Amino acid sequence: MSEQKPDQALRRSPLYRRHLQLNARFEELGDALVVSAYGDTGMEPRLGVSLAVADLCCLPRTGFKGPGAPDWAADQGVELPSAPNTALAQADGSLVAKLSHQELLICSDMQGHSGLIDRLNHQAPAPGVYSLPRADSHSWLAVTGLLAAEMFSKICGVDLRTHKFAQGQVAQTSIAKINGVIVRHDLGATPCFHIFSDIASTEFLWDCLLDAMEEHLGVAIGVAAIRSLAATE
Amino acid sequence: MQRLPLPYGLLIDREQTIGFSFENKSYQGFAGDTIASALAANNQWLLSRSFKYHRPRGALTMAGQDANTMVQLPSNPNALADKEPLSADLRVMGQNYSGSLKTDRGALLGLFSRFLPVGFYYKAFFKPRGIWEKWAPLIRKKAGLGIIDQQLEPDYYDKQYKFYDVVVVGAGPSGMQAALTAAVDGCEVLLVDENPVLGGSLNYSRLDAKGSMAREVRDLLVHDIEANSNITCMTNATVNAWFADNWLPIICQKRLYKVRAKQTILCTGALEQQAVFHNNDLPGVMMSSAAQRLIHLYGVRPGKTAVIVTGNDDGYANALDLTDAGVQVAAIVDLRDKPKSSPLVRAAKRRGIEIKTGYAVYAAQKRRNHLAGVVIRKILSQGVCDTQSKKIRCDLLCMAIGYTPTYQLACQAGGQLSYDDKSAMFTLNNLPDGLQIAGSVDSYWDLGNCLEEGARAATIATNGLGFTQAVIPEPIAKEKHSPNHSWPIFAHPKGKEFVDYDEDLTIADIVNATRDGYEHIQLVKRYSTCGMGPSQGRHSALAAARLVAAATNRTVAETGVTTARPPFAPEHLGHSAGRSFYPARRSNMHYRHIEAGAQMLQAGAWYRPAFYGEATDRENRINNEVNNVRNNVGLVDVSTLGGLEVRGPDAGEFLNRFYTFGFIKQPVGRARYALLTNEAGVVIDDGVACRFSHQHYYVTATTGGVDRVYQTMLKWNAQWRLDVDIANVTSAYCGVNIAGPRARQVLAKICSDIDLRAEAFPYMGVREGTVADIPARLIRVGFVGELGYEIHVPQQYGEALWDALMEAGREETIKPFGIEAQRILRLEKGHIIIGQDTDAMSNPMEVQMGWAVSHKKPFFVGGRTIAELEMKMPIRSLVGFVVNDENAPIPLESHLVLDGDQMTGRVTSCNYSPTLGKPIGLAYVQPHCAEPGSQISIKSSGAVMVEANVVTLPFYDSKTLRQEL
Repeated sequence: MSEQKPDQALRRSPLYRRHLQLNARFEELGDALVVSAYGDTGMEPRLGVSLAVADLCCLPRTGFKGPGAPDWAADQGVELPSAPNTALAQADGSLVAKLSHQELLICSDMQGHSGLIDRLNHQAPAPGVYSLPRADSHSWLAVTGLLAAEMFSKICGVDLRTHKFAQGQVAQTSIAKINGVIVRHDLGATPCFHIFSDIASTEFLWDCLLDAMEEHLGVAIGVAAIRSLAATE
Repeated sequence: MQRLPLPYGLLIDREQTIGFSFENKSYQGFAGDTIASALAANNQWLLSRSFKYHRPRGALTMAGQDANTMVQLPSNPNALADKEPLSADLRVMGQNYSGSLKTDRGALLGLFSRFLPVGFYYKAFFKPRGIWEKWAPLIRKKAGLGIIDQQLEPDYYDKQYKFYDVVVVGAGPSGMQAALTAAVDGCEVLLVDENPVLGGSLNYSRLDAKGSMAREVRDLLVHDIEANSNITCMTNATVNAWFADNWLPIICQKRLYKVRAKQTILCTGALEQQAVFHNNDLPGVMMSSAAQRLIHLYGVRPGKTAVIVTGNDDGYANALDLTDAGVQVAAIVDLRDKPKSSPLVRAAKRRGIEIKTGYAVYAAQKRRNHLAGVVIRKILSQGVCDTQSKKIRCDLLCMAIGYTPTYQLACQAGGQLSYDDKSAMFTLNNLPDGLQIAGSVDSYWDLGNCLEEGARAATIATNGLGFTQAVIPEPIAKEKHSPNHSWPIFAHPKGKEFVDYDEDLTIADIVNATRDGYEHIQLVKRYSTCGMGPSQGRHSALAAARLVAAATNRTVAETGVTTARPPFAPEHLGHSAGRSFYPARRSNMHYRHIEAGAQMLQAGAWYRPAFYGEATDRENRINNEVNNVRNNVGLVDVSTLGGLEVRGPDAGEFLNRFYTFGFIKQPVGRARYALLTNEAGVVIDDGVACRFSHQHYYVTATTGGVDRVYQTMLKWNAQWRLDVDIANVTSAYCGVNIAGPRARQVLAKICSDIDLRAEAFPYMGVREGTVADIPARLIRVGFVGELGYEIHVPQQYGEALWDALMEAGREETIKPFGIEAQRILRLEKGHIIIGQDTDAMSNPMEVQMGWAVSHKKPFFVGGRTIAELEMKMPIRSLVGFVVNDENAPIPLESHLVLDGDQMTGRVTSCNYSPTLGKPIGLAYVQPHCAEPGSQISIKSSGAVMVEANVVTLPFYDSKTLRQEL
């Protein structure tokens, strides 16, 4: 656990006040603090199996686009998804989503390891490759659990039921009236939908999610639970 | 409370008694009752008063399909008593009466009905001129039903998407069979019904003389459905419309389900119709199916002595049900001369029920607001009866003269409604792909046929989806015997034969509408209001079509019916309004503004601080913020400004074509004002283009304009095909503007890797470095007219940046300032705001921005138009003005500039300037008034004329020394 308070970190999730209201406990991750857990650390993974949301805004992510982006990324060792609107887990645990023939979204594993992302961000720009500040333009929320698709059906017009929206599938759509990218990348056996949307609207989306989750008793969980779920088979 | 014994009362739970009140009198019912069924069990049949003549009305359909049962609930006017579930301590009142429900003074209007002909409004209120204004208050007072609870705390309404392969609408025999057939492996089926349980007509109708078949078939079908995991059932749910591509809004309790179906099967059944005769609206006169619903669903005996008027065998089944339930059936009045013998007819005869064939119910008689008897007469020809009457005492009259298909959803889908003269029935055809109908909505009445047709429709659907490749059987031939009588309409000298119960429209009203020249059925509807009431023509369309056809010498098929538009059933506004989303955007430093006492305003979805401090001290606070920037140092959040990355080998060329200025030769490390015009040369946005490298520009845009600028950039580059990438990074960056003579002093404390000296980092310079260890882009701009630095940092560092600057400026007493102060500061400096000081016609020359237009480049968007405009005489100019009269009111935006009594311009911005100590503003004026020293007259609030002097811009620091410090 961190001794530091979230309002002392350089990098601050737009949701940190919401987390404080929920008595969150924080842990350091780079120059930011992320929520480790809100309540019973042992209980949260079980809640995540049912329905939960986690704030991953401070976890590393980046993006690249341009006609040269796919080949350039492949040259850097990135294993590319086969088609637009699909995502592929990398050997190091990070996830690469192909948003179009010329655009990639790359996010870290749940530990927040940023090796691949740092390496790509620090490469000299190649012709036709343009970096995108996804860590700051887009929030990252993870909705987990067997009831996630049912909850999503209240705020999103895409059929996200697990037998219709497969692991690795990507939807670029509207969620609660704001644009967002939804990537299904399960945590072990637990369905998990990663949402990337306008970071300035993060609080709005967070509130909408919690409101929609209420009838299913969904709650917020920390990264400890997310990691625990990811580690289960 | 009297109830029939089990098994009657399918829907009620006799173990749960519920107390409620109606018209302030206490009653008891059971869980599962509707208000109307519980009142009927207590022998209370009068439920409401009709809209126009205040006639007593009671249950007609017991299915929530008519307006006769509309009652007032504490928080819900116009609740349908035969649909609304009973709940504990519910307070129910009648509606639309003066005095009491039982003794309604408004019923006197019925005596004057001959003076209230069809089209009365159109005839009575248009002359003499102005008479409507006198009538309107009275009419408006009488119009409308029910009372809205204005103190009501709204309930939580919600919406949800659902996705199914096949949606079956209606869980009667055809619907249940269709669902079962469709539920093949992998096919997800939704079965929807508006009733509390599956079964449809099988729950209450009688199919055989013995009276057991309906229940046996229902039990089998329901059992199979419940055992089938591919079928989801939704009861108490109304499919309220059909929209393109099988988009079905389904209302269930307080949720609107937005259902996407790949295939839809409508098994919506048919609506029983009324016979049209004198006093056919009395309580005690009801559809035969309503009586059967009361008996079978609620265990309520619908009367003591009944007469049945029928044109089909359903009337005989109804008679058998009534006698089984202990109701004496005085007679079956069969409109047919010679009804064919059938098991039901024979069974009725065996029970000794008097059957009068070739007779009509000519009139109903009233006593104490209820049916007391009927007058029957021999039918001589279509709608014409013998003069000899026979009276039969009864308190219940059941009408079984035919049906219309529940065609609304099918017609919304593009289905065509036709009329078959032989069967005297509407039929549906020309349905779109992906939509099937089955059962009585498709004019099948035999149970076996309905089941087969349900299965057939399902097979078409599953074949269409690729789940099956079954051979689709030929459609079953339509049955020979139609349940519809061709003319169950009998005019009476005293009228009151109601075609439309909702609007109290009689035979004469419909016929007279055609005589007034409104012969088309759509015009008849609008002129007479037939079909415009709450039941939307469910029980008037067929009779009205027949009457109009006869009156205009056309066939019913040629006459047609009016359009059936959504919604199918009344819905609460909450269903449409519930759970709407209003996105809100906040900068990362949003809560620092709140903590500092900011009054926030919304600009689009963004929240921005207007000013800091109490709203009651607004002007003082804003002026202080202005003074602090002019004399010290202030900090404003500019995160909402648009940010666009323009990168690539052709980035300079792209901006050169896109904006009015020249950008190809813009040095790296410099910012340049960027003015955007459209093809018409109209100013639509502005910002600054910062060149961070040869191939990299970071371009700002206005808060409200950035999305359009981004889209426009993409559009143009799709045509130009330049080697450039454009990215909207507005949200990715948080920004502040630290401004004032001590800005550099404060910034220098936390920015060590950028040389901030004026000669090293001049006005309109741009730099990249760190501020308080945060990676930052710095732009020296002068929007507020002072030494200033815009600092843009990655969004999630925004609050840390704010904290660091406020801490660094503590010694200098740095203060935040809001949008209001910024508006004044920029006005003092003569800077315009696009959208406020410009309109849909403003070109650069008019707004004194000609300097921002390059004439040295071959092309830019709007350039050709601007060149043309430059050759013409201007018609207006945006000028600065001051008001020197201390006692004059301050003009407001959009106040008019007058020349005599001619409107010659308008004010676009005006504020008191704390720096100049007087009101200053911008206004469009005629060119001859644009010269400094000219005087203009502004018509201010309360028509007070304010004299103002045109001055040279800017108002403040004319040599722009301060921003270049």
